[in-house]
Amino acid sequence: MRRTPRPFRWAAVLMVPALLLAGCAGDDDNQDSAQEGTTEGAKQGGVFRIGIIEPTAIDPYNAQESEGMLVAKKLFVGLTTVDDETGELRPGVAEKWNHNDDCTQWTFNLRSGTTFSNGEPVNAEAFKRGMTRAAKQSAASDVAYHMAGIAGYAELHGTGEEGAPPAKATEFSGVTATDPNTLVMKLSAPDCEFDMKTLQPVYSPVPASAGEADNRVFNDMPIGNGPFKMKEPWKHDQSITLVRNDSYFGDKPFLDEVAITILPSQGGLEAEYKGAQAGEFDFARIPPALTPQAKAEWEPRNGFLHKLTNGINYLLVNVANPPLNKVDARKAISLAIDRDAIISGVYKGLQTKATSIVPPPFKDYHQAGVCDVCDKPDIPRAKSLAASAGLTPGTKVNLGYNTGGGHEAWMQAIQEQLQNNLGLKVELQPLPFRELLKAEAEKNASGLYRAAWSADYPSAENFLYPLLSENSLPPGDNRGRYVNKRFDELLSQARKTPEKSERVRLIKDAEKIAIGEDLALMPMWYRDQYRVYDSSKWQNVGIDFFEDPTLTKISLK
Amino acid sequence: MGRYVARRLLQMVLVLFGASLILFVALFVLPGDPIGTAGGERARDPAVRAVLEKRYGLDKPLPVQYVRYVGRTLTGDFGESYRLRRPVSEVLRSRFWATAKLALAAIAFEILIGITAGLIAAVFRYSFWDVLVTLTTTMVIGIPTYVGGSILQGIFAQNFDWFPRGGQGDGGLDTLRHLVLPALTLASVDAALVARLMRGTMLEVLRADYVRTALAKGLSKRTVILKHVLRNSVIPVVTYVGIAFGGLMGGALITEVIFDWPGIGEALSTAITAQDNPIIIAVVTYGVTAFVIVNLIVDLTYAYLDPRIRLE
Repeated sequence: MRRTPRPFRWAAVLMVPALLLAGCAGDDDNQDSAQEGTTEGAKQGGVFRIGIIEPTAIDPYNAQESEGMLVAKKLFVGLTTVDDETGELRPGVAEKWNHNDDCTQWTFNLRSGTTFSNGEPVNAEAFKRGMTRAAKQSAASDVAYHMAGIAGYAELHGTGEEGAPPAKATEFSGVTATDPNTLVMKLSAPDCEFDMKTLQPVYSPVPASAGEADNRVFNDMPIGNGPFKMKEPWKHDQSITLVRNDSYFGDKPFLDEVAITILPSQGGLEAEYKGAQAGEFDFARIPPALTPQAKAEWEPRNGFLHKLTNGINYLLVNVANPPLNKVDARKAISLAIDRDAIISGVYKGLQTKATSIVPPPFKDYHQAGVCDVCDKPDIPRAKSLAASAGLTPGTKVNLGYNTGGGHEAWMQAIQEQLQNNLGLKVELQPLPFRELLKAEAEKNASGLYRAAWSADYPSAENFLYPLLSENSLPPGDNRGRYVNKRFDELLSQARKTPEKSERVRLIKDAEKIAIGEDLALMPMWYRDQYRVYDSSKWQNVGIDFFEDPTLTKISLK
Repeated sequence: MGRYVARRLLQMVLVLFGASLILFVALFVLPGDPIGTAGGERARDPAVRAVLEKRYGLDKPLPVQYVRYVGRTLTGDFGESYRLRRPVSEVLRSRFWATAKLALAAIAFEILIGITAGLIAAVFRYSFWDVLVTLTTTMVIGIPTYVGGSILQGIFAQNFDWFPRGGQGDGGLDTLRHLVLPALTLASVDAALVARLMRGTMLEVLRADYVRTALAKGLSKRTVILKHVLRNSVIPVVTYVGIAFGGLMGGALITEVIFDWPGIGEALSTAITAQDNPIIIAVVTYGVTAFVIVNLIVDLTYAYLDPRIRLE
């Protein structure tokens, strides 16, 4: 679960219907994930060049940030995949799956006859092997927690509690390969959306040659079952080269090779964009401040992509301490902020205003307007709410944010708006990212903090639970210290509800409470992602659900 | 001479211990938990944190940690990078050579450009060339590395495409091409200072009696300058260049970041933000070592170049 705009990747290309849903009314030139040409009869071949910063790991046992996951997801395909068009779960290696009545046991039926690129079979045992390898305590995997709901996890991974004995288990007791093509997982608590978690690379199968998690050979050159394979071991700080895996069981990519250059961690984003401008890369992200410029330069040549993705930018509110511990005070603040003005002034219209926490890509769960004080400013009402909540002119309000993220402009805009409209004394608190997180979690923290969030799974619950549940209080991510029993009850009920539409209703009701009634977080804008690419050479270039280039679809013109 | 060298080496060892100790304590005092976040951003799984804390010996008191660190360093084990979870020596090995290449190229530029410019300025004193050199050096000294590097990159790599924007290239001639802009950036301020130093020293030497005598004896101006004046003027320059080289070996942070040069300066920059203490300690301690050794070599060269100097 992460806070930063380095989100998890989900493969859903949003086409026109989603554009309408998102309300990007003015953006008629920007196609979401522009896909020119068709994939029929697409030319084979080509070397696609991109730049990333050095990942922590590309081995699925520990691939964690966007860069590492980009590679891991090309090398490995797990039980499930995500549909590009609808954002729904689709079969991966598992052809079908089901669960028992109370969602505590899940059975996955695997397709037979698929192999790793080294010829070893991909079967239920291979999945169990991969999961066990990552869950073991000695692996110290930062992403094993995605498997925490499976029985036997704590015995394998340890709990980190003071004085707890070391985890001795070597087998994942909750995972069973009942036959080569059947994988059964028992959960320690009901979770009717458990199948979504299997999208995480940590659930990938691995061949027997993988060995333990600290096998450096496999860490640097993982052998997987995905559309691409490694051409050579990872050249740290220099490059990662992928080539098409001709034994892949799905639709094979058209590209011969993906040449990934590794850029320095500091200034890597600028280097990536400059590289694209210099013709060194075929696809690149854009430093946020340069987006309007990039649009002007690349859009005329059809090389500018836009996609509304899985994320939300908001203001975290400390609801435990004054001055914002009263709902009316929070509503006053939200009504005093002119989001449209900031979006057009600071971002030149390139962000989408948010009136909910669950963003539009989550079609079934998204409720535009669930925050009824997020749309337009209403100064008179703000003033009266502020007065009734004791938020009188001259009250000091803290506004914290992380340095180095380019947030200075809009933080100052908020400060100005609150000072002009409500007479508040807003004190900016710029801090390096980690210090900011610490400051937010302090017992005496108060006021507002700039924040962002992306879900790990395509589930709305993954926005609401980590940010607002009582179980997510610090050291978890609920740093605003919101506690509402009705809210927690609804989420917990949803987890146990097998029927989707019922589950959706419960989660929507939960968001209505936390955001609509209590305004525990203040939505600002969703997450708009922009990319540039060389359209003179390539077609079918888009942004997938995980914000990566659609490498399996790209082909030469 | 032998005793002098031995004493200097002993001093060096003491300096190293002192530097690493100060570093250790300073990093310990800084707020924040170096292993408390994964990827530097989200809170780490407590079970994983507990494993890493034991693995890195962070649950032991500071003096114990320091002693163990020094002990392991003597066997060549610099620990594991907290951020990359790979051995520090492995992470820094290739980067060390990258920085060394950059430092050598920068020094070459400094010496070539600096000495030539200074020489011309001194010999053709008050001429157009002299004025040009003086003005240019003043300007260059005033431009910060970040600005200068970005300008060079913008003009020659992006506008004119004469040189690559960044990276190390594929070896051999390609790497040399990639070296030009970053080395020039690094060398610029020092070259300017060297030029001015050279000019000033040469002007002084040109006024000396023995120069006048040599000219009076009938030696050509060119011989006098190249054989006598140059050799004498170069001494302070050698000292300065030596110190500069020592500093360069320690890694040029800003330049490496701008030009995407995978050296230890760039590694240090990232490590500082991420509180990756093993990398920070290794790079800084190495930088101190390089500086001290190079200075020792400079002092010995100094004595060789000028027999009048005796090492006490």
